[in-house]
Amino acid sequence: MHTMHPSTCEDYLEAVLTVTTGTGRPATAEEIAGALETDPDTAGTALSALVRDGYLVRTPEGGIDLTETGRERAATVARKHRVLQCFLTEMLGIDGAAASREACTLEHEISDETIDRLSSYIDCPRPRHPGRRRCGRSTTTLLDFSEGDTVRVTVLAQPGCNRRLLDLGILPGEMVTIRRKLPNQGMVVRAKGCDIAISPEIAASIFVEKSG
Amino acid sequence: MKCALIGNPGVGKSLIFNQLTGLGVEVSNYPGTTVELQRGNTCYQREIIEVIDLPGVYSLDGASDEEVLVRRFLEQQGADVIVAVLNVTRLERNLYLLLQAAEYGLPMVVVLNMIDEAAKQGFTVDTAALRDLLGVEVLLTSALQGKNIDRIIPAALSAARPATLEVPYDHHIEAAVRSLDKMQGTDRFASLQALEGIGDDAELLETAKTIAEEIESRHRMTISQIIAANRHNFARQIADSITVRQKEPAPSFDLDTVLTRVIPGIPLLLGVLLAMLLTVFIVGGWLEGFIVTLFEVYAVEPFTALDLPGIVEAVGIAILLALQAGLGIAFPYVFLFYIFISVLEDSGYMTRAAFLADKAMHRLGMHGGAIIPVTLAFGCNVPAVMSVRTLRSRRERMIAAFLVTMVPCSARTVIIAGIVASFIGLAAAFSIYAIVFVLIVLTGLLLSRITPGERFGMIMEMAPLRRPDPELVLKKSWMRLSEFLFIAMPLLLVGSVFLGLFEFFGVMDVFEAFIEPVTEGLLGLPGYAATALIFGILRKEMAFETLAVLAGTADLGAVLTALQLYIFAIVTVLFVPCLSTITVLHREVGSRVTLAVTVYTVALGLAVGAVINFAFA
Repeated sequence: MHTMHPSTCEDYLEAVLTVTTGTGRPATAEEIAGALETDPDTAGTALSALVRDGYLVRTPEGGIDLTETGRERAATVARKHRVLQCFLTEMLGIDGAAASREACTLEHEISDETIDRLSSYIDCPRPRHPGRRRCGRSTTTLLDFSEGDTVRVTVLAQPGCNRRLLDLGILPGEMVTIRRKLPNQGMVVRAKGCDIAISPEIAASIFVEKSG
Repeated sequence: MKCALIGNPGVGKSLIFNQLTGLGVEVSNYPGTTVELQRGNTCYQREIIEVIDLPGVYSLDGASDEEVLVRRFLEQQGADVIVAVLNVTRLERNLYLLLQAAEYGLPMVVVLNMIDEAAKQGFTVDTAALRDLLGVEVLLTSALQGKNIDRIIPAALSAARPATLEVPYDHHIEAAVRSLDKMQGTDRFASLQALEGIGDDAELLETAKTIAEEIESRHRMTISQIIAANRHNFARQIADSITVRQKEPAPSFDLDTVLTRVIPGIPLLLGVLLAMLLTVFIVGGWLEGFIVTLFEVYAVEPFTALDLPGIVEAVGIAILLALQAGLGIAFPYVFLFYIFISVLEDSGYMTRAAFLADKAMHRLGMHGGAIIPVTLAFGCNVPAVMSVRTLRSRRERMIAAFLVTMVPCSARTVIIAGIVASFIGLAAAFSIYAIVFVLIVLTGLLLSRITPGERFGMIMEMAPLRRPDPELVLKKSWMRLSEFLFIAMPLLLVGSVFLGLFEFFGVMDVFEAFIEPVTEGLLGLPGYAATALIFGILRKEMAFETLAVLAGTADLGAVLTALQLYIFAIVTVLFVPCLSTITVLHREVGSRVTLAVTVYTVALGLAVGAVINFAFA
């Protein structure tokens, strides 16, 4: 049995990670072959090699799951993929599908150092650019939702100015319910069991996504 | 021994303080009522204990005036014992502040207040579990019912200890705390503060900043956000573990479905304000007449009958007149007005009003919270200017200070009612209000364009709706009235005495001769009217009486034309706020803004008077 090319190995691990995260249970060989668009036989061979190398384990039910080492390596590659794809689409304006293919090739060669720098380059908040679009995050704000909606906060633009929001429990990860929305966009949201009235411009700085 | 009360706004801290010390602290169901430290003493087992009521805050890491004040207080160990007051009906959010306060390491006692409210909502709190978690004494109280309040001081004296629990922070934060400890030997608390950029040690802050930037780039969140999230999550865990649900609360009708909608919310708001003003003016007018007559019959007439030597009589009359005017207005109008405002605040309605008015206030360069100073100003400008400090930015405070001083207070209303309504007619009186409101709006629009500074939107917790307690409402109205009585009244008295002396020595006549050509040309007013106008700064509510005295008759219609009366009234209403307002303005917003307000209102008053004069003469 020949040794797998590192990029193939990483592609498989990434696929297992995607499938298992998506379904929440161990993957099957068919699912992985489907995700990578190869035939099940090739996939079977590759998966066996990865099990032998200690990246994957076969579960008693016949599924395939990542080992700790495998999960780590897969997560690193997945992060590289995300950062690259973000850079290609958001910064260079390449179309999504093309960027994804490109990222798939680049992710295996790029160094960790470069990825870190690229990531902080993308993330670095520029003055006068609050609430810039971020990859993989929603770009909808509280203003895009209506009365009665429950949403999850993703990002607070201008975090320095609105410290009070943090202290009242309106911060990334928290669920808030819109209790009232006036035609002038002023709103009352419920967070931590308390009703908070906020001005439209504050609501516009709270990025949220539909929960569930 | 010193004992400080700390807690979120509206948790009943001030009420507990009142019950502990018997002092009058302004209690409000409105965020941001207590901005200064309130101190009072209480006696327990022959020991005097100083109790300090800290302003209500949501956090100790923020940059607002109250938060900085409380933080400094705790840093300097201003108290021997911290009494953390929590609202059990908002346990999770209140625990968030408690977790922060606990990090300061001062001996503390935890008071879970509003337990009666919790019982109504069908739950209670396992105090033993919370005591074990925190490592400090926990009391269940109800300040409204006075339950267990007497146990606070004994507990603070005998059982206060620093809390033992630590918030489990994100592992990057914990690692940063460890490395700061290794590098510089700072303790956990100082390191956390430094990571959030709080503290005075420049070297520590610099090191912490480098680490913080690293963590921020990895988390895509600011350090403050991460720390806040950790604390909130921990607070939630604690709240969940100690809340004992007894029964599901009966679904109650939510009044907010009515109060915060555009329809019927806004018509309701306007209706409430209008009904309040009308009631105050009708009932107040009746009371005013009553008090003024009393004074006339039992004080002024007997005094003049004494036939004292000239200068003594002049000063005496001036004092009596000032008292008559001050009490004639203070009690009827201002007190009634503050009763209404207090009811609106304590019921929680004021926060709804602020929410509804937010957008309109934005146009004027402020936010919804400014509705408090603006409505207060209808009573007396002095407490209104004092409440301007609850606004978030200097920009807003400046704009609010400007607009508040233009709002016709009860003294100016007396001029409108006494001169315009009685000699010209009701429609003319309302037209003065209309002109003043238009000018306020125009000024606001202008100021919001030209005033420098950051714009902040409103982030305001809606106070829960509750039935106001009559005793508390009266107490608070009295507190506000005393601001009028003890700040505005002495100045009125002094002003009035000076006025009396000027008159006695004939200064008025000299002044009159000097000013007459200007006012006659510009405003079409005789010299004595101008004098009444100028000296109205000293005692504005007396401008009407001054005019009557100087004209030599109370029947102003006989000596002045309708146009002259109208011009006199509108210029007096717009013209410079009274001396007391200027004094308070100076204290709250500084001399430059005060000067600007004064110059602007004088110019505006003269300009509007001149325009009317030339348009209709």
